Amino acid sequence: MAAEHISMTLRTPSLLRRIWQNRIAYIFIAPAVCMMLIVHIAPTIQALYMSLLDLRQTTLRLYLRAPFVGFEHYQDILGGLIFGTGGANIRGLSQAIDNSLWFTLWLNVGTLVIGLVFALLLNRQFIGRGLARSLVLLPWVIPSFVTGIIWRYIWLQQGGLANRILVDWLGIINQPIQWLLLENTRWALLIPAIWRNVPFAALLLLAGLQVIPTDLYEAARVDGANGWQRFRYITLPFLKPIIGLQIMFGVVFNLFGFGPYNIATSMFGSTNHGTYAELLIPAIVRQTFTNQLYGYGAAASVLMMGLAMGFVALWYWVFRDALTAQ
Amino acid sequence: MAVQQTASAPRPTARRTIRWQHMITERLLDLLLVVLIFLMIAPIIFLIVSSFKTSNEFISATGGFFPAEWQFGNYPELWQQANFGTYFWNSMIICTITTFIATAFASLTGYALSRFRFPGADVYGLGVLGTQLIPGTLFFIPLYLSFVWVRNNLGIPLIGTNLGGILLYVGFYIPISLWLLRGFFAAIPVDLEEQAMVDGATRFRAFWQIVLPLAMPGIVSAGIYIFLTAWDELFFASVLQIRTIPFGLLLFSGVQSAQNRYELICAGAVLATLPIMVLFLLLQRRLVEGLTAGAVK
Repeated sequence: MAAEHISMTLRTPSLLRRIWQNRIAYIFIAPAVCMMLIVHIAPTIQALYMSLLDLRQTTLRLYLRAPFVGFEHYQDILGGLIFGTGGANIRGLSQAIDNSLWFTLWLNVGTLVIGLVFALLLNRQFIGRGLARSLVLLPWVIPSFVTGIIWRYIWLQQGGLANRILVDWLGIINQPIQWLLLENTRWALLIPAIWRNVPFAALLLLAGLQVIPTDLYEAARVDGANGWQRFRYITLPFLKPIIGLQIMFGVVFNLFGFGPYNIATSMFGSTNHGTYAELLIPAIVRQTFTNQLYGYGAAASVLMMGLAMGFVALWYWVFRDALTAQ
Repeated sequence: MAVQQTASAPRPTARRTIRWQHMITERLLDLLLVVLIFLMIAPIIFLIVSSFKTSNEFISATGGFFPAEWQFGNYPELWQQANFGTYFWNSMIICTITTFIATAFASLTGYALSRFRFPGADVYGLGVLGTQLIPGTLFFIPLYLSFVWVRNNLGIPLIGTNLGGILLYVGFYIPISLWLLRGFFAAIPVDLEEQAMVDGATRFRAFWQIVLPLAMPGIVSAGIYIFLTAWDELFFASVLQIRTIPFGLLLFSGVQSAQNRYELICAGAVLATLPIMVLFLLLQRRLVEGLTAGAVK
């Protein structure tokens, strides 16, 4: 019995023993774990609980002892979104979801198409290729708040670059366009966002193009494949994992991240981005921090996290072949 | 290839037209590239030249693209009027300290994850990825309220100070640094450090003197990425009232006396971009290699 017991422990050391054996590893990860506990994990747990509280400006002093309302916020938000009922906040959220879906779709399409054009053009032999690549990458280094400032003045109605070119220099239109008004603001936000996202996409796609073996193209040419066929059946399948990665970045950074928030806030010069350009994150930020509805904002954020998880699951399902083929 | 050559060999004129067509397409593609590159950098040039204009020239419908007279005085004026030196200093301090601490902590962790199969390693790795799905608005609500509570009850000034910014940014950027760094540590062979430890070096010394120098290219590219991202952070800074450049410029453009001084705001934007542009141009190759390496592999 005793001998058997010893041999068992030798084969599979107990959990405590394995922890003790790896004690140095825990010392190494301790600083990062502490910071993540303070900034990510503890606040997230609090926020999950907060989404069940009526925590607003008037009850702020009570903090986590604010009145418990259960799933009321979730009911209000989901019910309001599905049945089109609810107050100004819910209607704002509903509009922001529409805006965000439109924005994210066209941002990704625009970024991928233009990025691919750049990658294909840069993936040829010509003089000054290194310089060209650096120049294409330049807008990626421009901070997003500076991007907002640049385009604020490009869209300026009087003296802005867009109207100067279209009206004064090319004469395509007669009247200056009010870019930062109503529906136009959608485009006024989408175009700078594409401008800033294209460089990195081009870089990734170019790196992907460079690992495609050139003899594949030669073989296809011998077999009589034309340019489009070579692109469709050689280039695109090879690029699929990169395209998947770019879509992941494009959605996570732009739908759930703060890139467009920075651009829009600097471009409009305030945290109020108007009906047509207010995306989901800015809407939640405004309702939570400006209107001081903390419990409601936490619930809206939790629902958005659910959306993000759903997106990742869907993304993984679509690109799982390309990822495992690596 | 061979078939094509023998087929076209007896007809040199056909081959020449194909070569000509090829060359013309290539030159047209070059031209397209030049036009597209021009469109990409035109907004940047527009920002720079606009920062040297006068207020009237800025909104005039007849002025040229370039200023009639370069107003170099815009920069000193902005520096004084906007209190730009303070913003600049705050941004520099917060971003530099954040970059160093975040990459240091992430290096220690990345090393541990690549060398030890300790209980909880998988859960931790998943947790690091999971943090990226938590919306900034979610975890920031309690964090902001806790910062307010700490200031009111313990007297530690976490609102409106660089200290609060550094604390928040270090925690916020650790998962991204770790994500960028992990592969670099996994790629370093274990033989070298094992040899050193056989010779009597401690685990930490082996990490410090052997692994860290080998991982430096990866650490530098992760560090630059963190610096660029922290330099561009507006939301947390604006709620915590930290006067970094993004928030400072936003405040300045809302000030009554500055509202129509577009050229000064442009000058501020140029100054805000200058340091990271220099950093980028110096370390471009390393950054690009570091960021694309994981993706292509």
